[in-house]
Amino acid sequence: MRFPAVLLILLMGGVIGLQAVHERRGGVPAVDTPDMLYVRSPEAMRRLALSYRSVLADVYWIRAVQHYGSTRLSNDPNAKYDLLYPLLDLTTSLDPRFNVAYLFGALFLAGPPPGGPGRTDLAIALLEKGLQAQPDKWEFAENIGFVHYWWRQDYPEAAAWFTRAAEMPGGPFWLKSMAAVTLAEGGRRDSSRVLWQEIAKSDLEGLRNEAQRRLAQLDAMDQIDQLQAAADGFERQVGRPVADWDDLRRAGYLRGFPADPTGTPYRIQSGRVTLDETSRLHPLPVQPAG
Amino acid sequence: MDAISTEALTKHYHVGFWRPRPYVALDALTLRVGQGEVFGFLGPNGAGKTTTLKLLMQLIFPTSGRAEILGRPAGDVGVRRRIGYLPENPYFYDYLTAEELLGYFAGLFGYRAAERRRRVSALLDEVGIGAERRLQLRKFSKGMLQRVGIAQALVNDPDVVFFDEPMSGLDPLGRREIRELILRLRDRGCTVFFSSHVLSDAETLCSRVAIVAGGRLAAAGDLSELLAFQIRAWELVVSGVGETSLERARAAGDVTRVTALGAQRFALEVPLSADPLRVMNHLKTHGGQLVSLNPVRETLEDFFVRQIAAAPANRGLEPVAR
Amino acid sequence: MRMIGHVAVNVFKESVRDKVLYNLVAFAVLLIVVSYLLGQLTAGQDVKIIKDLGLAAIATFCLFIAVFIGIGLVWKEVERRSIYSLLSKPIRRSEFILGKYAGLVLTLLVNVSIMTAAFYAVLAYLDTQFAESVRAGWPAPATDPGMLKAIVLIFVELMLVTAVALFLSTFSSPFLSAALTFGLWIVGHFNADLRNFEAVVESRPAAYLARGLYYVLPNFAAFDVKAQVVHSLPVPSSYVATTAAYGGVYVSLLLTAAVMVFSRRDFK
Repeated sequence: MRFPAVLLILLMGGVIGLQAVHERRGGVPAVDTPDMLYVRSPEAMRRLALSYRSVLADVYWIRAVQHYGSTRLSNDPNAKYDLLYPLLDLTTSLDPRFNVAYLFGALFLAGPPPGGPGRTDLAIALLEKGLQAQPDKWEFAENIGFVHYWWRQDYPEAAAWFTRAAEMPGGPFWLKSMAAVTLAEGGRRDSSRVLWQEIAKSDLEGLRNEAQRRLAQLDAMDQIDQLQAAADGFERQVGRPVADWDDLRRAGYLRGFPADPTGTPYRIQSGRVTLDETSRLHPLPVQPAG
Repeated sequence: MDAISTEALTKHYHVGFWRPRPYVALDALTLRVGQGEVFGFLGPNGAGKTTTLKLLMQLIFPTSGRAEILGRPAGDVGVRRRIGYLPENPYFYDYLTAEELLGYFAGLFGYRAAERRRRVSALLDEVGIGAERRLQLRKFSKGMLQRVGIAQALVNDPDVVFFDEPMSGLDPLGRREIRELILRLRDRGCTVFFSSHVLSDAETLCSRVAIVAGGRLAAAGDLSELLAFQIRAWELVVSGVGETSLERARAAGDVTRVTALGAQRFALEVPLSADPLRVMNHLKTHGGQLVSLNPVRETLEDFFVRQIAAAPANRGLEPVAR
Repeated sequence: MRMIGHVAVNVFKESVRDKVLYNLVAFAVLLIVVSYLLGQLTAGQDVKIIKDLGLAAIATFCLFIAVFIGIGLVWKEVERRSIYSLLSKPIRRSEFILGKYAGLVLTLLVNVSIMTAAFYAVLAYLDTQFAESVRAGWPAPATDPGMLKAIVLIFVELMLVTAVALFLSTFSSPFLSAALTFGLWIVGHFNADLRNFEAVVESRPAAYLARGLYYVLPNFAAFDVKAQVVHSLPVPSSYVATTAAYGGVYVSLLLTAAVMVFSRRDFK
């Protein structure tokens, strides 16, 4: 009676051992093309899925996440995110309302190497696909704006998308603010000013106050530019940086004491004009170089 | 009103797919069974016995001819309230227990719960199933299944029962029990129609029999009548003779068998070709004395074999010029 | 009616004793394991995946039950010859067929009901695992009663599949019946393609044939509103009612055909 049991255990051990050998050798011999996708065409996949479209979309979503994660964590320098977009495309073709796939998928796609493929164009394409299925989903528009803003530094485009998002049903009002701020940071003060003037008409007192403050900031930024131009002219003419406002007054560039819209005087030091830190308008929106 | 009657009941099958040839399973069977009879339906394998029973139960449909049970056509649903049927080699739902199976069938007749329980219990007792009645039928032996089969045929106290090979699978004790059950049914006034190829059962139970062979009815009628004039041989019992005297008779072919019954007492079998009186007279000259002279009647088996031999071998229809 | 009920209860008993209901255990295990793993595998921000999987599992497990028991409903009785003793009782052949059908539908009803209860229980538990703010972003609540519409239509679809399997079971062997039933189910999902055939194909007769088939073949795709209820898209009650009526009429057609075939059959 013992013999068959021993035989069973030995054979099982053999099976496990051989599987380990298989594993150690690297599994099935490599193929040129990675074939994680048995079907590439989303249309064909929709057909084949019968009534299991949603579940298949979920499966492809899980695969996309796994692919992203394993590529990120991998030490192989050749590992690329080749399958990420195709998998996300399949996921969203099978289930066009799979919001999480669009939002997170775009994030995965936009991230620059080595944390992601750095394909902002694909990220935007994915989100625009989402908008096709749900044209009023403001989150998608907002995310497109974010991709433009954060990874592409295309501020006018970003602001345009934020505005679009704010105008969609359910779009939060603060997106308009964000659009305005984006424009300011992008150097488009006049567009920003227009937006804030719109917001200044709001019923909400807090929003009105904020809009007026922002408009004052924009004015301050204009004034600083003008003062800075004068200071630069002085420096070219006289050959040394402006030390204080008297220099400019004596040189004839200025009359009186320049102050910001709240009445706090500007400061000048070594030829640079800045807002006083104690001013209510501090800090001004940062303008990135270039 | 007859319990069962058939009129030229015929069943053809078509065998073969591309050019189906007809096969005659039953050819113009006409018979009558009166109420209260125990009727034996006999024949070799393949004779058409089961086919007839299935036609009566409307499990298959006749090619032509009619069948009636208690005056109603065989397919009538109403008449099935008053009949019971035991199929050959019965098989039931093996996930049910014997009790549940009978309860299920009893439910089909519309008995209320208490009545169902009573009937089921009584029937299982009658067919000799004890504690096994709570076991699932998949655990039953062939003999036990046979008993369950008989029980389910009787669940509604039928007026006519149809048994297809009721003794099959039973040991001698079981066969006797079922024989007694059939007699009890007869005593209750039930008509029993059973098919069998065990002739001894028919001999002990039946008042009337029919013999089918090759799909045709070979003979039908009262058992005693059928065998009445079929004298096979004579039995001559003599005393006071010795062996030697008998030798001459035997050599002459007048005696086919000699059985010693005692001292100088012999039973002689005289074939039909010989004359028993002549043999007697011959033995008398040697000092023999007549004890008895009786006809030896044919047994059912002899009769049966003779009928079968005359049966048609070709089961196909006569070719018709087209 | 009584006869049908008796036969139906017997079919149900057989299914239970054949341990069919153990599939419920597999279903529960599947749901629980997947909901646990989901947190590990994806950026799971909602219960969409559990809803998809739960509905698909209910539909699929019960589809297999409907087919594999359905194809044997009549065939097994004839093959094993238990039908001989049954038909000698005062039961019509039509009552036998209808009783078998009702029995399997009853089994499926019990199965679907228990699965639905378990499904909602799992969803209710998962609901407690997410923050209020996240839940506010979901298109539908975790224990959305709207999903019952999908489940009702799944059940009607199962009734139709059962009827197909039963009809085939009256004259065909199990292997062939299974292949044909699954085949019809698959083709029934391609209905939309049949309708659009004429746009794709040159030959007029082929287009007519396709169109004809579109109307005649059972349109299983119509019963699938799983994606809609998960995304909380509107599924009008009138749609549920008319689609259920379509299913009911088709079932009646198949049962009538089954009774016709069965009533003429010789049981050799």
